[in-house]
Amino acid sequence: MSNDLYQQLIATTTGLLLLAAVLQIWGRSIVRAIGLLVVQGIALAGLVLTVGLHAGEGSAFLVAGLLLVVKAVVMPWAMLRSARMIGVTREHSARVKPAVELIGAAGLTLLAYAVSGPILGNRTDPASQAVPVGVSLVLLGFWQLLVRGSAITQLVGFLMLDNGIAAISFLTSGGLPLVVELGATLDVLLVVLILGVLVVRLQAEQGHIDISELRELHD
Amino acid sequence: MTVLESAINLVDAGLLAQLLLGALAILAAVVAPSRLRSLLAGAPIVCAGIAAAATGTAALLGGVGTGLRIPVALPLTVPLEPLLLAPDQLGGLFMALAGVVVALAALFGIGYAHGPAASRTGWTAFAVFAVGMQLVPAAADAVTFLLAWELMAGGSTVLLLADHATREPVRRATIWYAVMTHLSFLFLLAGFGVLTAAAGGTSWATMAAASVAGPAASLAFVLLIAGFATKAGLVPVHVWLPQAHPEAPSHMSAAMSAAMVKMGVYGILLLILRLLPDGPRWWSIVLIALGAGSALYGILQASVQADLKKLLAYSTTENIGLITTAIGVGLLLRDAGQNGVADVALVAALLLAVSHAAFKSVLFLGAGSVLHATGERDLDLLGGLAARMPWTSVTFGIGALGAAALPVTSGFVAEWALLQSLIHVDARADRLIAIVIPITMGVVALTVGLGLLTFVKAYGIGFLARPRTQAAAEAHEAGPAMRVAMVLGAVLVVGLGLVPGPLAQALAGAVSAGGVSTTGGAGLLLSTVDVVLNPVALTLLTLGILIPLVAMNAVLARRHPRRDVDLAWGCGGERISPRMEYNATSYSEPLVRVFRSSLQASQLVDVVRHDQSPLLVEQMTFTQATGDVIEDRLYLPATRWAGRLGDLARTVQNGSIHRYVGFSFAALVLVLVLVAL
Repeated sequence: MSNDLYQQLIATTTGLLLLAAVLQIWGRSIVRAIGLLVVQGIALAGLVLTVGLHAGEGSAFLVAGLLLVVKAVVMPWAMLRSARMIGVTREHSARVKPAVELIGAAGLTLLAYAVSGPILGNRTDPASQAVPVGVSLVLLGFWQLLVRGSAITQLVGFLMLDNGIAAISFLTSGGLPLVVELGATLDVLLVVLILGVLVVRLQAEQGHIDISELRELHD
Repeated sequence: MTVLESAINLVDAGLLAQLLLGALAILAAVVAPSRLRSLLAGAPIVCAGIAAAATGTAALLGGVGTGLRIPVALPLTVPLEPLLLAPDQLGGLFMALAGVVVALAALFGIGYAHGPAASRTGWTAFAVFAVGMQLVPAAADAVTFLLAWELMAGGSTVLLLADHATREPVRRATIWYAVMTHLSFLFLLAGFGVLTAAAGGTSWATMAAASVAGPAASLAFVLLIAGFATKAGLVPVHVWLPQAHPEAPSHMSAAMSAAMVKMGVYGILLLILRLLPDGPRWWSIVLIALGAGSALYGILQASVQADLKKLLAYSTTENIGLITTAIGVGLLLRDAGQNGVADVALVAALLLAVSHAAFKSVLFLGAGSVLHATGERDLDLLGGLAARMPWTSVTFGIGALGAAALPVTSGFVAEWALLQSLIHVDARADRLIAIVIPITMGVVALTVGLGLLTFVKAYGIGFLARPRTQAAAEAHEAGPAMRVAMVLGAVLVVGLGLVPGPLAQALAGAVSAGGVSTTGGAGLLLSTVDVVLNPVALTLLTLGILIPLVAMNAVLARRHPRRDVDLAWGCGGERISPRMEYNATSYSEPLVRVFRSSLQASQLVDVVRHDQSPLLVEQMTFTQATGDVIEDRLYLPATRWAGRLGDLARTVQNGSIHRYVGFSFAALVLVLVLVAL
């Protein structure tokens, strides 16, 4: 793989990741948010494949395939199924206006670029240049956890955060060992499956899935 | 040398025996069937108490062991030295004191413990408490000391909680006790931390050799005195005492009041005599002020209490106050160079401690026996117990004599020695002494007077006259184990009062005081102030005068036979009911009137008039309540502020998941911004 192609591929996949994240923040449709997760999953798998092939690792196909199956197929399918079961397709319990959300997201992305410099130091290779995108994904995922109310969007935010962490790890160290990657991915998969069940139960018990109404700890 | 060598062995062997007996007691408490549990668990504790008494006595008489080293292996970065148990003379005294009290209390407990106090937990906690308490004065370094201190505190807290399921006040009392105990521990930890840092070692020997001075010493003094005063129950940190003592099982109350609070006294003595012997003069003034305030406040509260155990608890504050006053006076006089009188004051402090341990054990055990028999602690509902509970009545009476400091009890000897030291002070030499000592004397005199009144009330209202309730009328005498414990305690009270010489001489060694010797076999000679007290001789003299008088009276009475009077004038009728008797509240009414404001007394008279004529009264109700001014003015505001702070914290911590996510998000962004800058 030529250096130029490598650079182009990195830029494309990370750009796709960031675009999907921003679109997620912008929109209120849960179905679209899940669709954007599929896009992120594909982009992440592409990133893994690019970085792995460039480093000459044979296991890159395996990891990329695993990510593709889990993040772009199984998880979105499970979430979509839960959303269909409870009949919720739009976010109703956002806590701030879309404009504020977007401005916050822009600020966080700028912050991510600002802080990545000191963290990376003198590294100038294309992969390191893309690390700020990973940091932005983490911050934007967090941001979504903070401002959205419904349990499914929370899950979307959490997965975005996880995608960000995965992207950073691939970009800085050329990927985690296969076993670790396998463990982490399966962990997240388990979380998604359990939360999928929980959301359905929540709707059945409470009549809504707004987690800001869950205040049992209060007294 | 053989005597000394055997003493050496006795100290080390005794320490080991206490640990083993404590472990045996815990084992017995856990495995024994419930029917035999009190006996099987109580007996090893009695033995451990006796072992501590023997070990302590050997150490007090100058036996110095090589020390018992307990190696500890903790995964710490700092290697911990082995725990060292090696009591010196002062420690020996307090170990012996704790041992005797534990033996009496455990013996009483064998007969008395019932319900939760006799459970596995109850006896295990008592064993842990007892052994921990006995080892506190044996500790030779700060770590061992604090460890034993916490065993003592933990065991007592658990046992105090015994009755929590059935009685609400127990929970309240335990919370107060636990909080104050922790406070005490924190003060001690901080104080010993300061001392250790300044001296460069945790052992007493290192601290004493380093002779810490200046601000570090004063800081350590203030912290440690605060910690020890909390345990000793001095005003204003006495608040746990009148709550915990009444609610604990009675054998536990006796052990706590007679022995545990003495560990605070031991701590004060350890600090000012061994660790920081050359403190500035204001230290002694602090001790005198703490002590005199506690003595006066304690006895004032005790004198108006109608609850027997609460009365005894406040009286403990009074006695500890007197002890601290004596220590302070001794310190002040040593500083002023009047060593002879100072020695008398320090010996008086120890005599007070020993005598208080003896009579307060008897009194609390007696109160336990009354509670066992009638289910009542309220003096207003008792009365007439002397006829139904002769053993309890006589022993409690002897204890009350001791508490009122009347001859021929140990209390009399101790307060006599304290007053001797006070009146022999040369007040001309020093202006500060000329101010402090007369005030102290006034406080001690008032305290002694009020003490007399208090214990006349406790005994007279509780045991004499006619029973005021059915429960008091149906009281029964205590069982054999309880009776033996009370009698042994009473024998100690009278014995120490009759033969004070040898005891005082041994005590003088503990505080390295000179001029105390035995005279005439049993009497006490204080050569530095040139006074003698020989109770045996005084008793014989009194008897020598009394016996002929009584005999003469008997002869005269026989010559003029008594006329029978059918009924003395009884308010114009024969309807003399127990309701006409003086009770505890009415007896102390004049005092309440005098000290109304400091007792926060409120009285309410409710008069119900007859419907036919307002001049006729159908019914009158009198209610009187007294409060603890320090609890109301100091602790309640403090807890209220803490509560408000907690409410404020609740607005931060409102249970919303979004808020918690927000906190961590804000933290993350903050860190990132800091990195970027």
